[in-house]
Amino acid sequence: MSKSLTVICVKAEATMEPCESVEREVDKVLQKFLTYGQHCEQSLEELLRYVGQLRAELASAALQGTPLSATLSLVMSQCCRKIKDTVQKLASDHKDIHSSVSRVGKAIDRNFDSEVCGVVSDAVWDSREKQQQTLQMAIVEHLYQQGMLSVAEELCQESTLNVDLDFKQPFLELNRILEALHKHDLGPALEWAISHRQRLLELNSSLEFKLHRLYFIHLLAGGPDKQLEALSYARHFQPFARLHQREIQVMMGSLVYLRLGLEKSPYCHLLDTSHWAEICETFTRDACSLLGLSVESPLSVSFASGCVALPVLMNIKAVIEQRQCTGVWSHKDELPIEIELGMKCWYHSVFACPILRQQTSDSNPPIKLICGHVISRDALNKLINGGKLKCPYCPMEQNPADGKRIIF
Amino acid sequence: MAVQESAAQLSMTLKVQEYPTLKVPYETLNKRFRAAQKNIDRETSHVTMVVAELEKTLSSCPAVDSVVSLLDGVVEKLSVLKRKAVESIQAEDESAKLCKRRIEHLKEHSSDQPAAASLWKRKRMDRMMVEHLLRCGYYNTAVKLARQSGIETRTEALQPGRGEPAGRGPAGHGHAGLPARHTHLPLQGPAGPGPVEDANPAVPVRQLPAAPAGEQLRVHPHPAGGPLGHQDSCYKEDGSSRSPDCPVCSRSLNKLAQPLPMAHCANSRLVCKISGDVMNENNPPMMLPNGYVYGYNSLLSIRQDDKVVCPRTKEVFHFSQAEKVYIM
Repeated sequence: MSKSLTVICVKAEATMEPCESVEREVDKVLQKFLTYGQHCEQSLEELLRYVGQLRAELASAALQGTPLSATLSLVMSQCCRKIKDTVQKLASDHKDIHSSVSRVGKAIDRNFDSEVCGVVSDAVWDSREKQQQTLQMAIVEHLYQQGMLSVAEELCQESTLNVDLDFKQPFLELNRILEALHKHDLGPALEWAISHRQRLLELNSSLEFKLHRLYFIHLLAGGPDKQLEALSYARHFQPFARLHQREIQVMMGSLVYLRLGLEKSPYCHLLDTSHWAEICETFTRDACSLLGLSVESPLSVSFASGCVALPVLMNIKAVIEQRQCTGVWSHKDELPIEIELGMKCWYHSVFACPILRQQTSDSNPPIKLICGHVISRDALNKLINGGKLKCPYCPMEQNPADGKRIIF
Repeated sequence: MAVQESAAQLSMTLKVQEYPTLKVPYETLNKRFRAAQKNIDRETSHVTMVVAELEKTLSSCPAVDSVVSLLDGVVEKLSVLKRKAVESIQAEDESAKLCKRRIEHLKEHSSDQPAAASLWKRKRMDRMMVEHLLRCGYYNTAVKLARQSGIETRTEALQPGRGEPAGRGPAGHGHAGLPARHTHLPLQGPAGPGPVEDANPAVPVRQLPAAPAGEQLRVHPHPAGGPLGHQDSCYKEDGSSRSPDCPVCSRSLNKLAQPLPMAHCANSRLVCKISGDVMNENNPPMMLPNGYVYGYNSLLSIRQDDKVVCPRTKEVFHFSQAEKVYIM
């Protein structure tokens, strides 16, 4: 069932990207506003000028005490007609733009889905409030992890949530160090790295060395005056001599060009600004590993997965409804279709029994047969024939009891 | 980023997520257009009225003075028309430009530069969060987040509805005018920016559609509980299978995801508990005598003096005791 549904879900793509479709209409409207606006201003200005001229003539006639001449009267009538025609045309011209404006709305309706149809059954939670609270908590944690401390604080206040300090603490410290790094201040990072030296080495992290290296380069960038200081700083490299020999040699070699200026030397790559961005990344990664945290907050990974899953599930829902086979997806146990998220999202092992095509679980674990092939226990039980078992992949007969439960 | 989203996938998601992003400024555009039309019509009729009066006077041989004063009236009305027309056109042009800006922002999702694309994704998440926060009534947080994330221009005219009849309510990207068929979710919370009714009554339907954004933030973790391979491992009582990278294993999401459906996996995918690497023909799964399975490469890396220690049970075995398992 799932295979055929997958095939159906490859929907026919729209011939034009949704954004471009709407953009086209908006551009037309903008163009019309522009032309209309210019035309409106121009014709009204002209009118005003014309009327102004007439008024001047009339005023001088009034001064002279002459009555209204027939010519002037005629001209006035014409003027009146002209005014009426012009302004009425302006009004109707503006009305004509309406169709272009409504086309924008239609393009949006056509290209975007106005309702996120019930892909999720709300009945799944027993208390909406509890769900809201847990979600709020997840958001706060996310904000802390992203370094948006003030926003997180504000949310805690507004939602009257309490976050314990030991949760916050590591993030506060990480952010302090990262902010310093952004300002090219290596001090706090070095302090942290040195105090966590042992654990960093266990992780095979070269963070401390990289920090020393960057500081050395920073000194070099200061020019020949810094030469002595740089040289004396180089002793910090000593504990890393074995692991990073080559890099140390490169740096010591660059000292030769200090007077000439490093930018013009073959060592100019040392001055690359990308090193700073890289050190921030390395620090974040290593610090998170140390703390047992993921680099990307759970909420953002979750959200991104949802973004991928949502259209797929909506498609399936539409197909199910269209074909009137609503029993297929009960909303409760499993999603009806596999969602591809990429290998980086394989956090846990999943074993799908090749025979029954079902995920194994605690109640139905994977079993390794004597020949080395692995099937689920349910499948094994199904294959028992007269007290014996034949492996479906190699014709090896064996005793069901010899199957060994494995754990991935 | 952990989750891989191809351009095609992003485009599909855009279709289902971004309706309000564009529809709301469109409704503003529509509203302003209608207001402009009204203004122009009104001033035009004023001008026509004064001109008609002038014509009437002309037909009855008037004194020059009266003609002059009537003409002055016409000039005045024309000037008012000009001013109002220019103002109204400016306003509607502004809202059309807002539509354009939003589309351009959305188009960034398919940018060739990976940095721009991932920045877009980050902003997308922040956008959804801001909308969710607004719906929950956490106004200050929403504004702070919008500012920090640099999406403030998008929320344009985000004004507090605190008891003042603000021109636009806090649902600033005013979900006004969206047809009433959207079920509504009134802003809640005493902490919120005041009851929705405070907003300018001239603006119709000030109720928020429950569907998009805010719902989406809640909806997203839902299907996500699914595809992320929410499975038994995340819920083992002794927490033995927790993975620091797995979002469903994290504290709060663990609770949220519990009632959700599991992900559907038709094919096996095995991950070594030691290294986190995939176990396949390049890194074959090996079973130790205690039944625990690890990748061949990882066993090599923890081998010491031909022995390996199972990281989970601490039992010691000979390297040669590891047996290859065959996964079809």
